[in-house]
Amino acid sequence: MRLIIRDDPTAVGDYIAKYIAKRINDFKPTAEKPFVLGLPTGSSPIPTYKALIKFVQDGKLSFKNVVTFNMDEYVGLPEDHSESYHTFMFREFFSHVDIDPNNVNILDGNAPDLISECKKYEEKIKSFGGIELFLGGIGEDGHIAFNEPGSSLASRTRIKTLAYDTILANARFFNNDIEAVPRMALTIGVGTVLDSREVVVVVTGQRKSLALSKAIEEGVNHLWTLSALQTHPWALIVVDEDATAELHVKTVKYFKSIERVQEEVEQRHAKLKAQGLPEGDEQIGSME
Amino acid sequence: MSSSNGLTCFTNCLLPLEDGSLVEKDLWIDERRGVLLDSQKTFFERKERPARIIDLQGNILSPGFLDIQINGAYGFDFSVFEGANTYRKGLNTVAEKIVETGVTSLVPTLITQEKSLYPTILPLLRPFTHPHGATILGWHAEGPFLQLAKRGAHAPVFLKSASSGFASFEDMYGAANLAYAEDWLMDDGGLAAGVRIVTAAPEIEGVMDAVKPLVERGVVFSIGHSIATTDIAAAAVRRGARLITHLFNAMPQLHHRDPSIIGLLGASPHVALPTTPTPSPAYAPAERPTRDFAKPQSEAFDEHETPPQTPVLAATHGAGRVHGMHLERGKVAEGPFERPFYELIVDGIHSHPNSVRLAYNAYPEGCILITDAMKILDPHLKDGVHEWRDGKRFVKEGVKLYLEGTDTLAGSVVTLDTCVRNFSSFTGCSLGEAIKCATLNPAKCLGIENRKGTLRPGADADLVVLDRKGNVLSTWVSGKEVWKKA
Repeated sequence: MRLIIRDDPTAVGDYIAKYIAKRINDFKPTAEKPFVLGLPTGSSPIPTYKALIKFVQDGKLSFKNVVTFNMDEYVGLPEDHSESYHTFMFREFFSHVDIDPNNVNILDGNAPDLISECKKYEEKIKSFGGIELFLGGIGEDGHIAFNEPGSSLASRTRIKTLAYDTILANARFFNNDIEAVPRMALTIGVGTVLDSREVVVVVTGQRKSLALSKAIEEGVNHLWTLSALQTHPWALIVVDEDATAELHVKTVKYFKSIERVQEEVEQRHAKLKAQGLPEGDEQIGSME
Repeated sequence: MSSSNGLTCFTNCLLPLEDGSLVEKDLWIDERRGVLLDSQKTFFERKERPARIIDLQGNILSPGFLDIQINGAYGFDFSVFEGANTYRKGLNTVAEKIVETGVTSLVPTLITQEKSLYPTILPLLRPFTHPHGATILGWHAEGPFLQLAKRGAHAPVFLKSASSGFASFEDMYGAANLAYAEDWLMDDGGLAAGVRIVTAAPEIEGVMDAVKPLVERGVVFSIGHSIATTDIAAAAVRRGARLITHLFNAMPQLHHRDPSIIGLLGASPHVALPTTPTPSPAYAPAERPTRDFAKPQSEAFDEHETPPQTPVLAATHGAGRVHGMHLERGKVAEGPFERPFYELIVDGIHSHPNSVRLAYNAYPEGCILITDAMKILDPHLKDGVHEWRDGKRFVKEGVKLYLEGTDTLAGSVVTLDTCVRNFSSFTGCSLGEAIKCATLNPAKCLGIENRKGTLRPGADADLVVLDRKGNVLSTWVSGKEVWKKA
């Protein structure tokens, strides 16, 4: 696992956007072989979306051949409700980039058969050959997608009851009316995230610092579901300085040193690649 | 240039919202159907996104303006009939040209006519969607049931009382023209009902009784050219009157003891009004003025010639009632009725900027900007001496228009986009709030706010692009660009 530390949320967003843009462009996606991208909602990824939109507007990136899968959606909230994740994704991202609406996948929280909706979602991800890169965020309790504390680390896409913490935290989006906050959501599972070839997680702000510490400085634990990332071969967490507040100085220093080494490795690898890599020598995990 | 899938996205622009704010947001339209889209639904349900993207470079994208009182423009007078074909041609000319002023919908206004002209002209003013010009929404009949003392430029010989109530109106305008809204459909699947506005003085005999039946038929009853007292004006509003014609002009000035029509803007929760208004004074046709009405006159400036002055009819005191007190700061107790919309001519002449601000501050939600323009309205007309009619000439100085050799104002020649800019500077309100007074407010008054004067999904894609100072850059009708600044 790699941890990248940047000064503030904007710098974090710029870093991730640049990273994702490079991954998509290097992938050279086509209509037959699209790049499959997993996407989150919430405030943390907004700077990343803004930076990605800028790349598209500047003609440096295109989402024409990108297929997206969103992490989650509330159950029973109308699709055009101002707080639905459909609305969020359209407002913050899809309306501003050149993505084909047919390539956009978001769970339908109003489907008559929610169980089959979840099953179909997993199948659809498989039909595209799995997710190439999953971008995620976390909650204050360390949840990734709506995989609340206590979720199975092998879980798949399913119906999930929201933790009371999450309901309280979301009440501010529903006129502080606890009763108005949806109780359930559909979410991809921790297992679904782990199946992606690469996972990138954005963590910003002091309020997320304890969760970050639990996820990377302690063992794999289903009460802090992000910690499952420790078992993933190719995971990247990008944080701002505030989010490191609960980490040991030693941890922060270690990851900062990795970043420097990583740059050297990448440069060397790029040189090799330019000379022509032997067949099958593609990256399968992060280089630490 | 058009979009390959028929959808267009306007981006990098400010949209005026219904609360008067301006927000950075994209707008999607369907140029084939000529309507505004719910962009999110189009994306997720229709699975489409616009093939054509128009970058508006930070300018304002507003609903097209509505002018609900305009007497003519570009040399055509809506009140002059010289054959149906000539009339239609004139109407088309106005519709095609007026879009340069940001106006995409208008309600042609007829001033008081000789009775036989109404059945001739009114059917010609049925709603009409011009393919590349402004939409004609219907008609506005200003007169003939007006107060002689506040007749303005209306010919006194044609002024009438309505002694048979609603029947007098039917007799004047033709029963077919006052039929129920549903019967008055727009020919090409456009607006559900044509717009009809009648300006009348509620104190004139029989008019008060006609308010309700008119309103029931979908007519907007507008109080104007009137000396109604506070009680009479309020009674008309209670019966359904929902508009005041060119506020401050052709009505008693604001008198603090009987604030009359203007006072409706401040309708107090304290005042309980008698259910039966003071009896209408008999109409006095004998009182014939001696002025030559062939001459052009301005309605706003001849009031000193038309005594009696304010207030003529004594206000009656209603049985005062103590309104329920409340303890919430900022909350205002409900008034005795919903206050009417009011039209303002914001050319800086017909109402002083202070008066404009006073009215707007009293009741911002009711404010509607109008031009009340004469047929000589034409922004391309140069200042100087111009031929008019019957060998008379007028002098144009900016938005002022005089009869040659006199200081008599010959009417309004202000364009609506100028009014919007003026309004913003007169009142100090934002451009977004000023735009609202030329779009949403008039549309609401006419009950067509789902189709016109709005950016709601499903509304007609009648749009105007303004720079951040309110100057018109381009105008769109039914999703097509019909005018562009050179």
